[in-house]
Amino acid sequence: MTRRAMDAAGRGEGPYMRRFTGFQRALHIMVIVSFLGLVATGLPLRFAAAPWARGVMDLFGGPVVAGFVHRVCAIITFGYFFAHVIQITYRLLRVEGPKKLLWGPDSMVPQPRDLRDLIQMFRWFFGKGPHPEFERFSYMEKFDYWAVFWGVAIIGTSGLFLWFPTFFARFMPGWVFNIATIVHGDEALLATSFIFTIHFFNVHLRPEKFPIDTVIFTGRATAAYMKEEHGLEYERLQRDGRVQERVVQPASRAAYLWSVTVGFIAVGIGTVLIVLVLWALLA
Amino acid sequence: MRSVVRFICMLGATATGLVGVRSASAQSTPARSTQVVECTKCHADRDLLSANASGARQDSALFVTGAVLDSSVHHSLQCTDCHRGFGAGFPHQASQVVVPCSTCHEKEGRDWAASIHARNAETVGDAPTCVGCHGSHGVRAATDPRSPIYPLNVAGLCSRCHGDPRIIGRYFTGPAYQEARVAATAFPKSVHGIALTRDGLVVSATCSDCHRAHLILPPDSARSSVNRANIPQTCGKCHAGVVKVFEGSAHGPGYPKQPGIAEGHPKPVCIDCHSAHEIVRADRPAWQRSTVQKCGSCHEHLYETYFETYHGQVTQLGSNLAAKCSDCHTAHDMRSPTDPKSTVFAGNLVHTCSQCHEGANANFVKYYAHGDPRQRTKYPRLYWPWLLMTGLLVSVMAFFVLHSVLWLIRNGIEHRRGGHGPRGPGGGGPIDDGPGVGPAGGSPTSGGSES
Repeated sequence: MTRRAMDAAGRGEGPYMRRFTGFQRALHIMVIVSFLGLVATGLPLRFAAAPWARGVMDLFGGPVVAGFVHRVCAIITFGYFFAHVIQITYRLLRVEGPKKLLWGPDSMVPQPRDLRDLIQMFRWFFGKGPHPEFERFSYMEKFDYWAVFWGVAIIGTSGLFLWFPTFFARFMPGWVFNIATIVHGDEALLATSFIFTIHFFNVHLRPEKFPIDTVIFTGRATAAYMKEEHGLEYERLQRDGRVQERVVQPASRAAYLWSVTVGFIAVGIGTVLIVLVLWALLA
Repeated sequence: MRSVVRFICMLGATATGLVGVRSASAQSTPARSTQVVECTKCHADRDLLSANASGARQDSALFVTGAVLDSSVHHSLQCTDCHRGFGAGFPHQASQVVVPCSTCHEKEGRDWAASIHARNAETVGDAPTCVGCHGSHGVRAATDPRSPIYPLNVAGLCSRCHGDPRIIGRYFTGPAYQEARVAATAFPKSVHGIALTRDGLVVSATCSDCHRAHLILPPDSARSSVNRANIPQTCGKCHAGVVKVFEGSAHGPGYPKQPGIAEGHPKPVCIDCHSAHEIVRADRPAWQRSTVQKCGSCHEHLYETYFETYHGQVTQLGSNLAAKCSDCHTAHDMRSPTDPKSTVFAGNLVHTCSQCHEGANANFVKYYAHGDPRQRTKYPRLYWPWLLMTGLLVSVMAFFVLHSVLWLIRNGIEHRRGGHGPRGPGGGGPIDDGPGVGPAGGSPTSGGSES
């Protein structure tokens, strides 16, 4: 079995292990598609004075069509947001109970260990200690997760205000729409800047990951990958004798090619968009 | 013979500014006075003229046919009404070739004498006089489609001089030259020009409607019809309704000066927004968007803040989807927000906003259409959210960019030192001291495959 040299998730030895469920992968595809659509249609408005704004807007067929695409992507966003919230609620109530989900090594909730990991990471940056080992989710992944959670809530709410202003004006004064514009635009700019630089760097572009990591698309990565990226989780699985539970077949060639293609397209579009942002900010 | 006469007549027409002489031969001949019959015995005979009037030009000046005179609006006049003292007999004794046209056309003569054309005629000598525009023996009424001063022909008449860059270069300098060039080249494409040339709309404005026919004066002259102070009145000759509204607006001369209006900006008149010679239909979308810039050239702060709103952003992207200045403030009846007659007066906002935002209520219109989050004292409700969001954006990005850059640097150091993967081996062992000390398997391979 040849490892896929281009794919960070296929690095090194060992069998492939399950990291993400099909549901999580599907949600992330929805995040990618809707987010790229939202950014591409929103940026020309945010930077309407930029030299490229008119061209990008015309590419979509003008503000009316772009606005339609933006709203369709917003609906997809609300869709994955509520699908996730419903699933989390279900898991909280029925499957795992709050204990495992809200605290501990498998939880997304920030914990003292994350702060220690962050400090340890900075110590490592300056050569003053070893690289921290991560559990199932590193502090960076947790930040990504909560940034999206907060971002969707904030941008989504302010976006709804701006989508249906006369309706919301029944309950609130018009200057709320001024604030909504500021919040919507700045939070979106933060999300755009963060995802297309920091998130891309963390998961795809840093030397260990370059040029692409397909784990979010195929849901699986090698044991070597798991040891390096989530060493504590792997150790825990070994201790509990549960490594075999997680072992899966490698992704099919079609799934692999599809994953790499989607990954490159998404990273490519994101890179173009962040270049446009920088161009607008520096111009 | 007839074709020769026609050819000569054409020559004459070219020299005297006459058009449409051709039809003279086709017209039925009215009864000619005996004097005309007498004079044309010689003056309509080209051979006789050149034989006798030695030294005289052999061109049209003396060559006058009965047909040309018949076609003229002056056909009932006698030759000696204008050429006084030229009685019968040859050689003629009169010293004055022609009496001034102002003898009869008193007002026109007086106006012309005060015009820039008259001044140039005196100094430079080649500015148009009566016959330059009206023609001489074949002069026709302005209502005659064959007249050079028929409304549809005026622009062509004026551009005989004003369309020539060399000629206008002699009389216009700097911006005035530029505008004179624009006048010649752009006017035919303007809404007025199109109405004239494409639709033959004789009531559409042509040169003389704005600049006058005789009392033509440069814009810096207070008496000029195109002096800034007189522009509304000039345009108002046709656009009477608009001018009436405009005069009552904040841009009208009588409106009290508003606080916050930049000094040094004279109040705009028609041409400041519509231009003088490049006027386009006001319902043309691109032009409507371009007016925003014109408003902004004086209302600078309102202009800047407009572009921070959805309205301004969409407009800037070349769409007419969102409100432009005139959609809220009207095109001609713009007034201060404190003026109860204003469309942006608090009490009228629901109506104004409802034009686009169906169902807008009193809450809705509390939107700041020109809100500026950077003005803390004026818009504290916008300032704090803006500061918070900007702070969040800058701090998060600064932190994580630092995080990534340090990571990359450390990766490079580890890579150089260890010769393999930027990460130390798994298992939590210390990695500072060199490669390959970790207990967990797979790392060297993985590191190797990465680099």
